[in-house]
Amino acid sequence: MRATPTSARARTVVSLLIACACAAALAACGTKQDTISPPAAKPFTVMLDWFPNADHAPLYAAISHGYFDQVGLDVRPIVPSETAEPLKLLAAGKVDMAISYEPQLLLARDQGLKLVSIAALVQRPLTSIIALPSAHVQKVADLAGKRVGTAGLAYQAAELRTALQSAGVSPSSVQEADVGFNLVGAMLSGKVAATLGGYWNYEALQLEQMHKHPIVIPVDHAGVPSYDELVLVVRSEEARLDGQDLRAFLQALTRGAQQVRSNPAAAAALIVKANPAAEMKLQTASIEKTLPATLPSNKSNPYGWQDPSAWAAFGSWMLAHGLIHSNPNTAGLPPFTNEFLPGQGI
Amino acid sequence: MTRRLLHALPAAALALALVGAWEGYVDLGLVNPIVLPAPHEIASVAWSNAGLLAANLELTAQEVGLGVLLALLFGFVLGVLIHLSPALRRAVYPLAVGSQAVPIALIGVLLVFWWGFGVLPKLFVIVLICFFPVVVTTVDGLSAVDPDQLKLLRTLGASRWQALRFGELPAAVPAALSGARIALAVGVIGAYIAETSTATSGPYAGLGHQINADINGLQTPRAYAAAAVLFLFAIACFYTLALAERVLAPWAHRPRGESR
Repeated sequence: MRATPTSARARTVVSLLIACACAAALAACGTKQDTISPPAAKPFTVMLDWFPNADHAPLYAAISHGYFDQVGLDVRPIVPSETAEPLKLLAAGKVDMAISYEPQLLLARDQGLKLVSIAALVQRPLTSIIALPSAHVQKVADLAGKRVGTAGLAYQAAELRTALQSAGVSPSSVQEADVGFNLVGAMLSGKVAATLGGYWNYEALQLEQMHKHPIVIPVDHAGVPSYDELVLVVRSEEARLDGQDLRAFLQALTRGAQQVRSNPAAAAALIVKANPAAEMKLQTASIEKTLPATLPSNKSNPYGWQDPSAWAAFGSWMLAHGLIHSNPNTAGLPPFTNEFLPGQGI
Repeated sequence: MTRRLLHALPAAALALALVGAWEGYVDLGLVNPIVLPAPHEIASVAWSNAGLLAANLELTAQEVGLGVLLALLFGFVLGVLIHLSPALRRAVYPLAVGSQAVPIALIGVLLVFWWGFGVLPKLFVIVLICFFPVVVTTVDGLSAVDPDQLKLLRTLGASRWQALRFGELPAAVPAALSGARIALAVGVIGAYIAETSTATSGPYAGLGHQINADINGLQTPRAYAAAAVLFLFAIACFYTLALAERVLAPWAHRPRGESR
């Protein structure tokens, strides 16, 4: 039996623990206090699709050059924990805008979320089929009988099927493996012959900078209808009521995009500042490589333009592959609008 | 001092052997360095990124410290309540066990919806992961008190509160402290899970967030460097608490081999 005279000690321990925890709780409360900012600018949170990277360059350029401040918006970017989170938190009213993907937006709308795209950050698919020379894959037809890694998204599996069919390969002859976000690792370790899901302006560039000489086939070059890889999404209600803010946002963003075009290296530096895990060399290369895809193919259309016929064709493709159940071209309001772009609408 | 060094020898030898085997495995070309970098590369990347790692460690350490403290308080109080009330035990225990199976990635978005992009959702995740060992060890410790001692206390006219206060609680503290040590060790991986399953604002968001960003950016050596920092941090936490325990609750520390 243990002696009890130590109960005074026990009391000390317990009261110490309680005191610490109370201090901790208080400290936690303290961190909740926001710093007070001048009331002039309206807080406007934008949830990114992923860690800050080259695709977000116009946003960070517009923030750092004060373009958003000038139109009365205090834009604050938020980094998500996974790619489906932005649209959920947007629909839940927690953020004012989300950066997402056209296929993801169509999926979300099919689930009943009242969201609409108001601009395209990137005008065509970045998603690509990527292979290393050691896998002896030069074109899609070479994938026959091989294993292909994807990030496990249903629409990427459908893109793979379409690409294979367009190349005259039976999809059943190709084994699809869900490798999560470890696309490059799966290729380097030789576990898959190719991957679908990596971006030609990111994973492919990383591999090039590692002197791996990847073979890169963007999905829109492999038979998948073109779509806007990155879009700016808002709640339909806001699009109806807060048109002024959205118009101001896109004006400022357009100026940010002009900055990026005139000085890609400075834009890359802003990305590295926002995401210290990013690498300057890769971000600069990625921004330069992405530039052509950020502008509409028809020069008379403004920055951010969404091509109605391309949206219609891609919506039909998703419907035909059973990814969505109602036709986005006929059911309800359209999934995108160009009316807030500079020089459009009104 | 020499005895201390001798004590540390097995740990150092084992660590060296493991790192050596790892180095050899990579240097012999058995694995692509982008999949598994060599220890020397990780060390040099850690050195050149010391500032980034330190800034992120500071955040993660705060989360772990606060989160584990809250978990200890919550777990200990819940353990005592469960011990005192059989009804509460029946009501709460199954839920507490089940809470350990909740996939954090699933509820991350809900936590952010409730508490925003700051530290609160992360603290909740850490508390959720860490409180359980404290509850279990506290409950076990409280019920393991010597029945003769309780009988004696009752004979002396002690109330229920006094029995708890002078009999059960002191006896339960050593077990609760074991739970605390488990909680602290688990708290580090809890912080990783918390940081990678909740949204954040700002460039520095902890080592877990950095590991995920680095995995995505193919900066595998730096991801491993951050993981190594977490690894050492967990060890440091564990032994710091063990030391604190020896100072604060010496009766909880019994030299090995000594029986009651």
